[in-house]
Amino acid sequence: MAIPVLICDDSSFARKQMARSLPEGWDVELSFACNGEEAIQAIKDGKGEILFLDLTMPVLDGFGTLAQIRKEDLNTMVIVVSGDIQPEAHAEVMGLGALDFIKKPASKDKIKEVLTRFGIL
Amino acid sequence: MNQTVTVSITEDQRDCYQEISNVAMGQAADLLARLLDVKVILPIPVVNLIEVNELRMALSGIENTESVSGVCQGFIGNGISGEALLIFNDTSFADISSLLKYGGITDSSLELELLMDVANILIGACLRGVGEQLDVGFSQGHPVVLGQHVNLTDLIKAKNYRWTKTLAIEINYKIEGYDINCDLLLLFTEDAIGVLNEKVNYLLED
Repeated sequence: MAIPVLICDDSSFARKQMARSLPEGWDVELSFACNGEEAIQAIKDGKGEILFLDLTMPVLDGFGTLAQIRKEDLNTMVIVVSGDIQPEAHAEVMGLGALDFIKKPASKDKIKEVLTRFGIL
Repeated sequence: MNQTVTVSITEDQRDCYQEISNVAMGQAADLLARLLDVKVILPIPVVNLIEVNELRMALSGIENTESVSGVCQGFIGNGISGEALLIFNDTSFADISSLLKYGGITDSSLELELLMDVANILIGACLRGVGEQLDVGFSQGHPVVLGQHVNLTDLIKAKNYRWTKTLAIEINYKIEGYDINCDLLLLFTEDAIGVLNEKVNYLLED
């Protein structure tokens, strides 16, 4: 069965870039969100078993989204994909329960490696 | 012959410039964070096609009542040229001086040194980041001081550009827990916009 995958980023270019970097032949049902609030709703609607999450976003940013996911105990695996590559940001998202951190622009190989490492692929 | 060439960017292109800037500013911020051992608060970059005489409006991160100092640095590569401006709120220097173990001491010449150091790091890293994504190698000119301890209007009044329109990318960096505020502005010339748009279209279609 197709896995519901959600891509959350305020940039439509970044969302497209992420979508086409997903491994070929991976059976997914893809949805998109433009900010954290939309992502939270999509997860509740069962559209985000796996979430690729940007950090710098309006309305609700990635840090806030992770905190909300934890608070509401939502069922999703979060991989942060961000341009904020400061060690502190990395540590903060891992502390908030992210599976891993991929720096932008995300390469196909890196995404595949992370998905494989967590037994998702 | 038509003398007025209309330069414009579409919403998709603007979004793409914003995302490219987002990645580039993150790389630059990481270097600054490591240098000063702080956390840099990243903004959402602001991308606008503006008239050069509206430059003041593009510097939204700094108030006109504040005393500021700034440098500019030209860049060029693959038919794309422009100028980077880095403007600091003068209150930033005491904190930068402490963080760099100068004991918070500031005088005009030390401030100038700090300004140049930070400008080299931020401008260099940002241009490298943009260049990597667009497959352009930028060479940078020497940094030039625009002014010290002046207000923003006077600082940018000193500039006299030969172009009328510019693609302006504004990145306002703040540092968590410190009174450090600076605005990095990348200005691309009117002639560069067409070349940039082509590069961006390629990324959008890909």
